[in-house]
Amino acid sequence: MIVMKRMSVWLAIAGVGLAAWVLMGANQKDPMPQPISEPPRSPYPHTVAASGLIEAVNENVRIAPPVAGLITKVFVKVGDQVTEQAPLFQLDDRELRAQLLTREAAIPPLQAQIEEQKYKVGDLETQLQRLRSVHDERAVSEDDLKRTWYALEMAKRGAQRVQATLKQAMAQRDEVMILLDRLTVRAPRRGTILQVNFRAGEYATLGSTEPLMLLGETEQLQVRADIDEVNAPLVVPQAGGTASIRSLADHTIPLTFVRIEPYVIPKKSLTGENAERVDTRVLQVIYRFERPPFPVYAGQQVDVFIERHPSPTSGETQPSPVVPTEQPS
Amino acid sequence: MNYVALKMLFGDRAKYLMLLCGLTFAVMLIVQQGSIFWGLMMWSQANISNLNVPIWVTDPGIAQVDEVKPIASTAVDRVRSVDGVEWAVPLYRGLLRARLANGEYHQITLTGLESATLIGRPAEVLEGRFEDILQPDAVALDQWAVERMGGPTVVTVGTIFELNDKLARVVAIAKTQKSFTNVPVVYTTYERAIRYVPRERRTLSYVLAKARDGVPVADVIQRIRAETGLGAFTEEDFGFKTIMWVLKNTGIGINFGTTILLGFIVGMAIAGQTFYLFTIENLKQFGALKAMGASTFTLARMILLQAFTVGLTGYGVGVGLATAFGFLTARGGNLPFAETWQLLLLVLVALLTICLVSASVSILKLVRLEPAIVFR
Repeated sequence: MIVMKRMSVWLAIAGVGLAAWVLMGANQKDPMPQPISEPPRSPYPHTVAASGLIEAVNENVRIAPPVAGLITKVFVKVGDQVTEQAPLFQLDDRELRAQLLTREAAIPPLQAQIEEQKYKVGDLETQLQRLRSVHDERAVSEDDLKRTWYALEMAKRGAQRVQATLKQAMAQRDEVMILLDRLTVRAPRRGTILQVNFRAGEYATLGSTEPLMLLGETEQLQVRADIDEVNAPLVVPQAGGTASIRSLADHTIPLTFVRIEPYVIPKKSLTGENAERVDTRVLQVIYRFERPPFPVYAGQQVDVFIERHPSPTSGETQPSPVVPTEQPS
Repeated sequence: MNYVALKMLFGDRAKYLMLLCGLTFAVMLIVQQGSIFWGLMMWSQANISNLNVPIWVTDPGIAQVDEVKPIASTAVDRVRSVDGVEWAVPLYRGLLRARLANGEYHQITLTGLESATLIGRPAEVLEGRFEDILQPDAVALDQWAVERMGGPTVVTVGTIFELNDKLARVVAIAKTQKSFTNVPVVYTTYERAIRYVPRERRTLSYVLAKARDGVPVADVIQRIRAETGLGAFTEEDFGFKTIMWVLKNTGIGINFGTTILLGFIVGMAIAGQTFYLFTIENLKQFGALKAMGASTFTLARMILLQAFTVGLTGYGVGVGLATAFGFLTARGGNLPFAETWQLLLLVLVALLTICLVSASVSILKLVRLEPAIVFR
């Protein structure tokens, strides 16, 4: 064949061959790298996904101080089991103790006055009796008698007044004692100390966003699932669900429905910042679960999938309320 | 007869080479420019293809990948709630300034991947371990970031720099496709990305998702759009959207289109003219053949054979040269060059058109040829 004798033809064949080889190599798409852990997948064909937070069954108690003040002593540490009324921490009580001293010191003088008043009354009573026993009108004047009688009555009233003042002083002392007792913060119920966010020597302010202490019951945990308000109508009571801990998505935890919180609240962003970002509002659904074989902790974030039965009016015919609609111009 | 035709073609070496050169360079020009054009287009959607995730969900008004419109963070759960979605994870993407220890500033693209799965991470890592970005303050760079920030002597694994006044420590360098804007990419986890960036009311840029196996992706995308009101795109559609945006908003399309058209016209002109001259000069031989009784049809077949032979040869050499050029210059990823079989096919069709047109002009000449010309 004459064609095959030409160099140019061989060059052409080589060129096409090179192009084919390069194309084969270059246009291959790498497969997606394997995720380092499995992404959470729904076990149901139809699902409502939510992000959840594990919490103690009886909602966690954020312990707050009754008044602002210096913390002098902490009686518990994280993880301690406490009984009801167990002391948790002590606020600085020196000021009230000082007050108590003066209040207590006010009582003995009053008691002494009462004694004093008693003798005064006794003295006047004897005087009056003596004056009354004299029948001679020239020896005792009517005036003296009257005066002594008045003095006696005055002394009796005086005793009553001192008596009342004593009661008042005792009440004031009791007040200080109750106020002192209030400075020892006690556990409102049985539970475990989940968090202690302060140390002795710090100043406890009122209304801080971070609770001083978090008290909860960690033996039984529950999941609080946040569902976007847009998806709220899709949730039916008693729907089954599963949860999975982030980075452990292949170990699912079966959930049992407890209740739907009737009030839709703004979503809390778990960014750890003190100012809250309000994006949207969420419906909260509470689920109970048995403790899985692997460790779970209160406060852990979970991905929740809730079973959904497809509604007869499917989403394709019914536009979502968030689809932007054309504004009439 | 075919032998005669080819003998005629190859016999005059100088003319044959000239013809071949014209066609070769026309093909090479079109293939090379087309490949560079397509390479640039691939670069413009590199920020999508580098993540290699099938479905992208974001605001429906999105124009291109780098023009981020943040959405509410519950969108992840809403996408997960759509039937047929196998998984969905959040992605942060946004521009930020990095300040190096030597005082230089660089604009970077911060990419926040979901921390548990790191879906969207590059497949190939040049240095370090990509999983280490789960460590505190750790980030990963792409190789272009190293190049842009001053090379491996300035930035390497272990380098510390500032992102919005916060510490970032390089733990890995990944290999990615270069992007059109060539803004260095810094990878970190989604949660950390949000801590790096200034406060915004909404932080989620994209939801990355995958359809369940056996469920058509188009159906899932349709459902995500209908049920969440968000914009959902396949990787390819979103890439195409970005390419169209680049074409519409930059002069690249017109520039390259003009060059390719010029290549086509020049190639056609050279090939047509040379081939016509070639026919004219061989007119005597054709006349002799005609006088010997060869029909016009046979002569036409000869011309076509000649045209296609030289055309295909030129095509092969041109494609080979263009490929070799691309292979040698663009191997490191520094030059946009993406040859595709579609382009090669298109060039083949164009070339055959050139050959056909120039052959027909010559054939017309032959039809009107008087066999007596031999004796003139």
